[in-house]
Amino acid sequence: MPDTTRMVLAGEGGQGVQAIAEILAEAANEEGRQALYIPNFGVEQRGGVSVAFLQISDQTIGSPKFLKGDIVAALSDRAVQRTAQYTGPETTFIYDSAMEGVADELPKNAARVMPVPAMEVAKKELQPRVFNMVIMGAVIGATGVITLDKAKAAVEKKLGYKFEKQPHLRDLNFKALERGVKLGSEMLGGLH
Amino acid sequence: MSEKAVTEEKRVFMTGNEVVAWAALAAGADIMYGYPITPQNEVMHYWTRLAPKYDKKFLQTEDELSAGFATAGGVMAGRKAFTATAGSGSVLMQEPMAMAEMMRLPTVAVLQQRGGPSTATVIYSQQEVTLTTIGGNGEGMRVVYSTAGHQELYDYTIKAFNTAWKYRFPTFVLGDGYQAKMREPLTIYDPETRGISLLEPEPFVGKEGEPGKDRPPAQYRNTFNLEEELYEKVMSDIREFEKVAPEIAEYESMETEGAELVVIAHGIVFRAVREAVANLRQQRFRVGGFRPVTLRPLPVTQIKELVAGAPKILLVESSYGQMARLLKEVACGSATEISTFFKPGVGITAGEVEARVKEIIKS
Repeated sequence: MPDTTRMVLAGEGGQGVQAIAEILAEAANEEGRQALYIPNFGVEQRGGVSVAFLQISDQTIGSPKFLKGDIVAALSDRAVQRTAQYTGPETTFIYDSAMEGVADELPKNAARVMPVPAMEVAKKELQPRVFNMVIMGAVIGATGVITLDKAKAAVEKKLGYKFEKQPHLRDLNFKALERGVKLGSEMLGGLH
Repeated sequence: MSEKAVTEEKRVFMTGNEVVAWAALAAGADIMYGYPITPQNEVMHYWTRLAPKYDKKFLQTEDELSAGFATAGGVMAGRKAFTATAGSGSVLMQEPMAMAEMMRLPTVAVLQQRGGPSTATVIYSQQEVTLTTIGGNGEGMRVVYSTAGHQELYDYTIKAFNTAWKYRFPTFVLGDGYQAKMREPLTIYDPETRGISLLEPEPFVGKEGEPGKDRPPAQYRNTFNLEEELYEKVMSDIREFEKVAPEIAEYESMETEGAELVVIAHGIVFRAVREAVANLRQQRFRVGGFRPVTLRPLPVTQIKELVAGAPKILLVESSYGQMARLLKEVACGSATEISTFFKPGVGITAGEVEARVKEIIKS
């Protein structure tokens, strides 16, 4: 793994990309690593593509944004278009395989293009609303950028107040995360 | 007396706006006046969340003009008052800040630059440099710290209050939308445990005793009848500013000794420069980096030395030459070759700086 991992996560508002980025950043910080997360936002109140820029490193992090991501994850068809500019020859491009009509839009210049059946898995095996946890797991599985334990601790920190009231949500989220990690590492294995 | 907000050193991971609110608390600020504008909003949000716990106050005014004037008023009442704004809000803030300049009021303003001109973007820029350093209908008798990340946002927000109350010039912490919104780690601390004593504010008006008998009368004017009278007042402030400027000016430099080219940037752009210089040095390029931490007053002596010693200078900023204009004034008369890399309203990465340096050196 390179000493700095740069990630771009993009999706529709409400898909939870900012939450994923924040949790990954928190987890890396808890591991004592350097982390810098910055959301991208426009003037619209709603309806835009939500983009998160995240860097995790063992060294001091320079500029908050970057030109090309090591990981670029697009969770919607518009996000596929929006993130094209951040994809380069070193990029692993992750997208949800349930998306239709994006085949022509997928980056041609990426090192790897990884379809992840996150929505399918979330719908069939879990619950659609933990879709973002499956994606987060897939990113962790594909990069090993943080440990699963730290990811769980960061999820607990962010959502603990919800888990208090509904403990089954903890299991659901953690299961989604673990399932995502498996998907991510399988994809990686299959591509090598 | 309320308890201290920050008692022990603690590593935290938060957004820059949150950092500013904590720093203002640690600096002993009494009140914030503000009006919402992105990307500064959360300074207000966090302050209003934290303030009541520590017996601090907040007033939301009807716009930035009144936020600025209310800050001036708070200061005159002897309170450590501050405000925060951005973009078009900074434009409106010029009128009260010019009054603060004229009346020598220790206002503190935190600016999180967004794109310009006008509404532009809510994201990021370095396009409020001219406005902050020499905006207003005056001579720019202001102190401006340009920070490069969260630790500095914390350190310099605390420092801004001391600088303002010590020298009585309006003081600005110039951040940007990236610093406002990003999360990164920093250490928060009680300044007094680090040997930083916090200056106590004192009222400008409503003091004890009879004016003219027990104490000098408090007269703070922003209106003058005669040109000569104004001239005397303005010149006396300029002389005082110039006298204290070398004490206030701060800079950061890396590998400038014997460098063939020195890259100059301020604020968050210097983080890209630090990385680029380190990478270029590994590739055996004789390159250095320099950063004015204070954009007003500038570290004039160091800039003059730099342009006298380095054959080539590269000025990099997220505006179309606002920092460059300030520096070129200082560098005037030097034979150094000055190149530029300007990306108004857009972030700059280390890779871009590296590429530009190589282009210049090889040409």
